Amino acid sequence: MEFLQYLFSGITSGAIYAVIAVGFSMLYSATDLINFAHGEFVMLGALCLVTMKAIGMPLPIAFLNAVLIVGLIGLIFERLAIRPVKRPQPIVLVIITVGASIFFRGMAMILWGKDTYSVPPFSDHPPIIISGAALLPQSLWILFIVLAVVACLYLFYQKTLTGKAMQACAISKKAAWLMGIPAKWMVSLSFLLSAAMGAVAGVIIAPITMCSYDMGTMLGLKGFCAAMLGGLGSLWGALLGGFLLGILEAMGVGFFSSSIKDAIAFLLLLFILYVRPGGIIGAVQAKRF
Amino acid sequence: MAILSVESLSKSFGGVQALQDVTFCVETGHICGLIGPNGAGKTTLFNLITGFYAPDSGAVHYRGRTLQGLPSHRIVGLGITRTFQNVELFSSMSVLGNVMVGRHVRTRCGFFRAILKTRGARAEEAETRNAALELIRFAGLKGDPEAPAADLPFGWQRLLEIARALASEPSLLLLDEPAAGLNAVETAALGDLITKIRDRGVTVLLVEHDMSLTMRVSDRVVVLDQGRLLAQGAPREIQSDPEVMAAYLGRPKEAGNA
Amino acid sequence: MSGLGGLSVRFRQSGFSVKIPSFLGPSLPYLLFAGAIALVGLWVENFYYLQVLTFIGINTLVALGLNMLMGYAGQISLGHAAFFGIGAYSTAILTVHYGFSPWIGLAGAISIAGLVALVVGLPTLKLSGYYLGMGTLGFGMIVHILFREWTSMTGGASGFVGIPPLSVGNYTFYSPTAYFSLVWGTVLIGVIICRRIIDSRIGRALRSVHDSEAAARAMGIDTHMLKLQVFVLSALFASVAGFLYAHFVTFISPGTFDFLTSVRMVTMVVIGGMASIWGALLGAALLTLLPDWLHTFSEFEMVVYGLILMVVMILLPQGLTRGILDLWEKSKGEDIDIKGESDGDSFR
Repeated sequence: MEFLQYLFSGITSGAIYAVIAVGFSMLYSATDLINFAHGEFVMLGALCLVTMKAIGMPLPIAFLNAVLIVGLIGLIFERLAIRPVKRPQPIVLVIITVGASIFFRGMAMILWGKDTYSVPPFSDHPPIIISGAALLPQSLWILFIVLAVVACLYLFYQKTLTGKAMQACAISKKAAWLMGIPAKWMVSLSFLLSAAMGAVAGVIIAPITMCSYDMGTMLGLKGFCAAMLGGLGSLWGALLGGFLLGILEAMGVGFFSSSIKDAIAFLLLLFILYVRPGGIIGAVQAKRF
Repeated sequence: MAILSVESLSKSFGGVQALQDVTFCVETGHICGLIGPNGAGKTTLFNLITGFYAPDSGAVHYRGRTLQGLPSHRIVGLGITRTFQNVELFSSMSVLGNVMVGRHVRTRCGFFRAILKTRGARAEEAETRNAALELIRFAGLKGDPEAPAADLPFGWQRLLEIARALASEPSLLLLDEPAAGLNAVETAALGDLITKIRDRGVTVLLVEHDMSLTMRVSDRVVVLDQGRLLAQGAPREIQSDPEVMAAYLGRPKEAGNA
Repeated sequence: MSGLGGLSVRFRQSGFSVKIPSFLGPSLPYLLFAGAIALVGLWVENFYYLQVLTFIGINTLVALGLNMLMGYAGQISLGHAAFFGIGAYSTAILTVHYGFSPWIGLAGAISIAGLVALVVGLPTLKLSGYYLGMGTLGFGMIVHILFREWTSMTGGASGFVGIPPLSVGNYTFYSPTAYFSLVWGTVLIGVIICRRIIDSRIGRALRSVHDSEAAARAMGIDTHMLKLQVFVLSALFASVAGFLYAHFVTFISPGTFDFLTSVRMVTMVVIGGMASIWGALLGAALLTLLPDWLHTFSEFEMVVYGLILMVVMILLPQGLTRGILDLWEKSKGEDIDIKGESDGDSFR
């Protein structure tokens, strides 16, 4: 059945948008910064996995390594490019992060060339047929990993002291500082986590797409759309926005035309900005992480 | 005749009732003092009159017409101008530039006339400049009118804000704690300025914590407490009003406990 | 406010002042500017240099308009490539598909871009800060996708070929010198328009919105309307630039009008120095020349470009022109420079 097929593919890409949106949204809530280089972390994650696999690492190790490396890149990026900014005006930060995204893309082009790479799926089971619609095992992997990552993140924010400290910093940096929370370290940590989230998205998307140095930009922008859709700065909003965007995009492509695929995200973005700038969740309850 | 009448105005923010059923009038040509402890709802009242907030219920009438639903810029056009509790100057502009912005609603030059630099536009510009210079003198600001506004000492920034508000030729001027942060000498000069403003024919609604200033210049005083109208009358009556004393100082019995 | 009894060029540090005859005073910078254009036009014969200079002029036009929106009114747009593209595609479609004269194309470019800016700006400019940035970004992406996918009209991803050159009567702007003069003449007009707006009641209102929107409203300024007007103005500048671009290169493709172009336009304004007309010119010149210089880095081109953007923004967040070119602004008798230091929240 067509509808079910579109739904499967929508949920798959939705899960990826969701995890990108989560990374982007958590960084925004902790630092008030929209990181236009976030999509490049997705690309780096995917290409790192390609290389790790090529040198013969087993998948789980390659996965972890890719995420760790990209997380570290995020950390270094914050240190070198964001922290030295004395007066963080949004416009300046926009240009810096866009500059960074061009820089990362350029580096990736030098390291990996302009070729596209592909990675075999995480497991080689045959597709599962559900009333005529094929569900790829990789889709299940993606869904499972995304939900696991988000659950971990939720527990981290709710249960650990560091997570709570990050939330406190997100609400008021000054007050958190007065309470003895090292705000600078919290900012670094959010960059690390956010970049790692991007890398996770890259790793899980690698088997179902062509990986190349320029794959990140559009994914990043769509992740932003998803985060805005759900409500900027909200974990559940990012999740909801991601899945909603993925599903609507798949339906749009399926029932209308593939030429509007990329436009759907931005039309939704404008729609939500006009109707409810706080996002779906944000307007109901402006809950941060 | 009342220039402004506030009729059973109410406003709440979430669970906080900032104003509840407040009714009073401001007579044309008066200086009306509006006092009350912190959180009494004075600034909220200003924001309601000037269209920055919409009331939950009640109405504001200005010269017999309702201000309901009018955007704040239209209200300025009708002749009500305000100042801010925390001085809100245009910090990138000169002293003169700030006051010239105040002329905005009394001037008409738009994009096209500015680009064509028509005779009318130039004449208007010169007129704006002269009116602004006159108001700078009137407010008692000395020194270079081309100096950046942000460089003025704080007391003068207050005066500049008043001059800027006057530039819109208001019939009713709302001053939000103009004496906050001023020293005694500056406050005395401010009192004289407010009287001079009234003598120009401008009605003044003055929110102020400085009691001696309010009592000295006001023709009439309205007292708010916790969002309600507590009392109104001549300064002398207010000063001896037991309700007002209680609101400010606490009731004699409670005072012992506190 | 200038020109009343002569222009006095004041040098802040030295207190030194020069009197220039009043009939010359206000227009002196423009006369010098026009002279410089004429000199360059007569002197430079190298086709390549003239081409680069023409591109600088086209980008300057966009930057001038965007500077009114960002530098003066303090509103960000991450989608201005769309208006540049609307200008280019409108005239391309009108002249090639419908056979109109390019001047009808210009009228079409201006009216379509203006109308789109009005319709898009109406809801979008109610937003502020990052939300405004995202809204304009979304709009820019949609227009970009439209250029790419509306194949029957725009030629799709492979581009639009055969746009005719401009001509007046029997004269055609074939020679690079002629086109150079046309573009820079337009820039001169653009500069004068911006200067006049800035020095007027409207210019003051724009800066007041930038400094304190609450106070601007309290002074009776219809801030939403004003933002909308200046947004439309900046879109018109971009569309005229797009028109000139289309008839200059005669081939356009969607890649020229993507998100990165929008960011490059914003960068021109910011690197040149916000709220400075000559800064827009400097920024446009630098960002037009930069890719050429970077060719020497061959495959490191992108890396170096990204690094330069980051380093300049980290070290000089207020742009390059502050200081040097402030002098001309100061000579107009009013303090133009927006305080980049204090308004960390100017886009929020």
